[in-house]
Amino acid sequence: MDRKTVFAKKTNVKEVNYVGPSGVPLQNPQSYLPQNLVRKDLPLPHLGEADVVRHFLGLAQRNFSIDTHFYPLGSCTMKYNPKINEDMAKLDGFVGLHPYQAPHTVQGTLELLYELEQMLCEITGMQRFTFQPSSGAHGELAGMLMIRKYHQAHKRNKTKVIVPDSAHGTNPATASMCGYQTVVVESTLEGLVDVDKLKSLVDDETAAIMLTNPNTLGLFEEDILKISDMIHKKGGFLYYDGANFNALLGITKPALMGFDVVHLNLHKTFSTPHGCGGPGAGAVGVTDALVDYLPVPLLKKESGELFFDYCLPHSIGKVRAFYGNFAVLVRAYTYLLRLGSQGLRRVAHNSVLNANYVKEKLKDYYEVPFPKRCMHEVIFSCKKQKERGASAYDIAKRLIDYGIHPPTMYFPLTVPEAFMVEPTETESRCALDYFIEAMRQIDREISQDLDKVKSAPHTSFVKRVDETKAARSPDLRWRENGV
Amino acid sequence: MPYILNTDRDREEMLKAIGIDSIEELYSQLPARIKLTKPLNLSSGLSEHKTKKRVSALAKKNVPAEEFNSFLGAGCYDHYVPSVVPFILSSSQFLTAYTPYQPECSQGALQAIYEYQSYMCLLTGMDISNASLLDGASAFAEAVLMSLRITKKKKVIVAGIFHPEYRQTLKAYLAGFDFVIREIAEGTDGLVDTEALKQALDNDTGCCAFSSPNFFGLIEDAPKLADIAKRYGTLTVLVTNPISLAILKEPGAFGVDIVCGDGQPLGSGLNFGGPSFGYLATKKEYTRQMPGRLVGKTTDREGKCAYCLTLQTREQHIRREKATSNICSNQSLNAIGAAVYLALMGPQGLRNSALCSFNNTLYLYNQLKPLKKINLPFGPRIFNEFVWEVKNAQKIIEQLYRRNIIAGYYLGEQFPEYKNGILSCCTEKKTKEEIDELVGVLREVPGG
Amino acid sequence: MADVKFAQSHEWVRVEGECAVVGITEYAQKQLGDIVFVELPKVGDKLKQSFQFGVVESTKAASELYAPLSGQVNEVNTDLVHNPQWVNEEPFGKGWMIKVKIEDKDELGRLLDEESYKALVQKEGH
Repeated sequence: MDRKTVFAKKTNVKEVNYVGPSGVPLQNPQSYLPQNLVRKDLPLPHLGEADVVRHFLGLAQRNFSIDTHFYPLGSCTMKYNPKINEDMAKLDGFVGLHPYQAPHTVQGTLELLYELEQMLCEITGMQRFTFQPSSGAHGELAGMLMIRKYHQAHKRNKTKVIVPDSAHGTNPATASMCGYQTVVVESTLEGLVDVDKLKSLVDDETAAIMLTNPNTLGLFEEDILKISDMIHKKGGFLYYDGANFNALLGITKPALMGFDVVHLNLHKTFSTPHGCGGPGAGAVGVTDALVDYLPVPLLKKESGELFFDYCLPHSIGKVRAFYGNFAVLVRAYTYLLRLGSQGLRRVAHNSVLNANYVKEKLKDYYEVPFPKRCMHEVIFSCKKQKERGASAYDIAKRLIDYGIHPPTMYFPLTVPEAFMVEPTETESRCALDYFIEAMRQIDREISQDLDKVKSAPHTSFVKRVDETKAARSPDLRWRENGV
Repeated sequence: MPYILNTDRDREEMLKAIGIDSIEELYSQLPARIKLTKPLNLSSGLSEHKTKKRVSALAKKNVPAEEFNSFLGAGCYDHYVPSVVPFILSSSQFLTAYTPYQPECSQGALQAIYEYQSYMCLLTGMDISNASLLDGASAFAEAVLMSLRITKKKKVIVAGIFHPEYRQTLKAYLAGFDFVIREIAEGTDGLVDTEALKQALDNDTGCCAFSSPNFFGLIEDAPKLADIAKRYGTLTVLVTNPISLAILKEPGAFGVDIVCGDGQPLGSGLNFGGPSFGYLATKKEYTRQMPGRLVGKTTDREGKCAYCLTLQTREQHIRREKATSNICSNQSLNAIGAAVYLALMGPQGLRNSALCSFNNTLYLYNQLKPLKKINLPFGPRIFNEFVWEVKNAQKIIEQLYRRNIIAGYYLGEQFPEYKNGILSCCTEKKTKEEIDELVGVLREVPGG
Repeated sequence: MADVKFAQSHEWVRVEGECAVVGITEYAQKQLGDIVFVELPKVGDKLKQSFQFGVVESTKAASELYAPLSGQVNEVNTDLVHNPQWVNEEPFGKGWMIKVKIEDKDELGRLLDEESYKALVQKEGH
């Protein structure tokens, strides 16, 4: 097997010019720049084009992906990424646009953004959306900065943000980026926010509560209206972390649950590919009260023409340059056109159905710590398996041998040996049955051949990776002569 | 229904297995008050064919930059993207994989990102690079936060001409902290006024940031600025265009602490400004203070070379409110694209692009110089863009649009003191004929 | 280990004259798993009882270290920077972390003896 890096594959190809001469007289930058500003050598390797293609395609083959494998990664909504989305995002009329072109030359793009914004407003019940944030956490930052600015403008002394103990780690991290102290509210044994405990935490200094609903345990927060009432009465806002919105598309709207700010992960709910970790898009919507604080610019229509309006005196400013990951937005728009109103509802239905089916078929093998009806994902605890010698980690690694990407493990932190399965709606019953059988088989293997599980995976390009060594003596880059 | 594989029969049987009669029962715990009673007010779903027609119609309403003779740059540069880059990035196993949390089935992504990190180190001359950030502006804000975290100081100096959207992003990112941003204006030559800088530096300063080439396209004396800043014990952040580093001194050689910026020139294309990716490289001693993901090289249980995400304890899913940043996602696919781009270009190709961009820009500069109606406020210490002034600049830009030329980025809105300023850029894609066309038309237009 | 006291947050203290040696317990290192990094204070830093003085990290978790006693840091086991595994191997031996000049001997009284610490661990383990 070829285990070389690109740097070990250098050839003697020297003449690389994809563009050709421009025809202008050539001058040496040295004559315009002081010597100390000029670079002496550029130590990059030379490679031939065919070698580059072979190298990187060879690497790609060592990845599991949603196109090639079942990928039930909890909280990540790894649904099938429709191929038409890719075709649309690559249209010349989109790819070739410069962000500072005059509005009259980009009306098609602005129309797309305008329509996408209206669709997301309808789906969530929000008033306006910004597309600038480029990931979920980036959306959280934008949303919480708006809340912060609102409170400041209204001279309210707000110091804390409440998050449940089961929250995504990004929630408390965002709260502290915005200068708020994080207060953690515990969950009940049933896995829902403990409303009584919450009551004792909410006061005049509460800026907001950040919630995921369904929560990270895959359960619907049934007391959401009580919670929103409690927070609103103290002048706080409800922030909706939309990571799990897939379960509720067309069933309810965050606005109906009392949320004031919403971020949607377009790369989860609206089928845009994850690209090994990005680019994504964390569109943020707000209700009336917060519209003035949205990042600049916002789309505006005047006498039939769309343009970007930068004149928003209360805006939080910008969270990145330009308008967000536009090519991702084209994909989400395409997906929404394909599905329409009925299609979205079907997404929710089948995502919840699939998760409950998996839960039902595995509950006699793996402990279900929260017996309530789950939404789009189900949490198992591998506690019993651990007692028999195999941890959630071992089981996850063994799944790779069955050609299945491991689920999310050890999250939420409140569940020991957590195993979080989100099958999504795009998996067939047949695929689910295969997963269920694999999980049962592994459970049997733990009794029959524990070592096989503990030393898994056996079929992958590399065997179990030594992550401790990686962290103890970090090797973070290639060097000419080793380390 | 598109993309759903369960049949009605499947659904029936699955419901039966679960022990309920209808899909609605799955939602029985939702309060009735919040359940939608009628369908969302969206159009019904379209066939793939009709969707394509509709989206393509929107794309056709746009006029891509390439159909103009465009001199737009200003943070988004029209460099040539070799066909291999989008080809590799559209391979399913890069495109549709998640963050490589499970190393055993993600070696492709991990090795590609490790190679990306290595390439960025070679290009910048720094010790380490992260696996990318969201974009140049947010990378800049993260770099400043990182400096203030390391120095435990409160003041950041932003020296010289910065991209206005980077400044706005920095302000937003810092809004939740009690940090002070001090902006140092440029001197008459468009470069950082070093005297003003020296005066602004003090013991409270934890970070001194500058950009070179700066937003006006001018090349700063970065080693000198870094020297001045260091005398006050502050960390230095340099924002730069990675392609410029093919001809400009690598920042690692003159002691800058953090180098960052947008990787868009390295194979990301225009895409109306996104996605591209942010890069951030620094010294080894700051590894643990660096935001973003990192891939490390290690071994598997058989002792063979393997890669995995490492030092994750800096990240928010473990450190929560104590994380180095609240953001975990990045733009891996574009970063992998940059590795592919740099592998294809090699030192010669990259240098060619940089030199050709420089020569085209210098040619335009020299052709504009003799025109009386045009003023060149700064010297030719430039890389791929520069500022020129003409009376009624905004009007002239509009006129030129009608002749199918985009003259550049109008400065007046963000820089009122340059109300007649236009920032024009040439990459290696520009030809002599195209540049001559712009100059010719400018000769003709009334004004001056 | 009669001269050793324990904090509820799983640090141990061994009094050596005017100084106290501090580390984390066997139980703590087991809970954390493979330790990959230890962040410690500098010599001269002032510590306050029950306040954070450092961080230990395993591949998947980071935990704060809390000062079992108040006082100035006299010595730091800088070898742990390159050998964090010592904390796993010998948490009471070469995996020690800092030596603190004891400021207030009464604080020792607020710590647990071996017996009570064992009881605590047993409770947490179940």
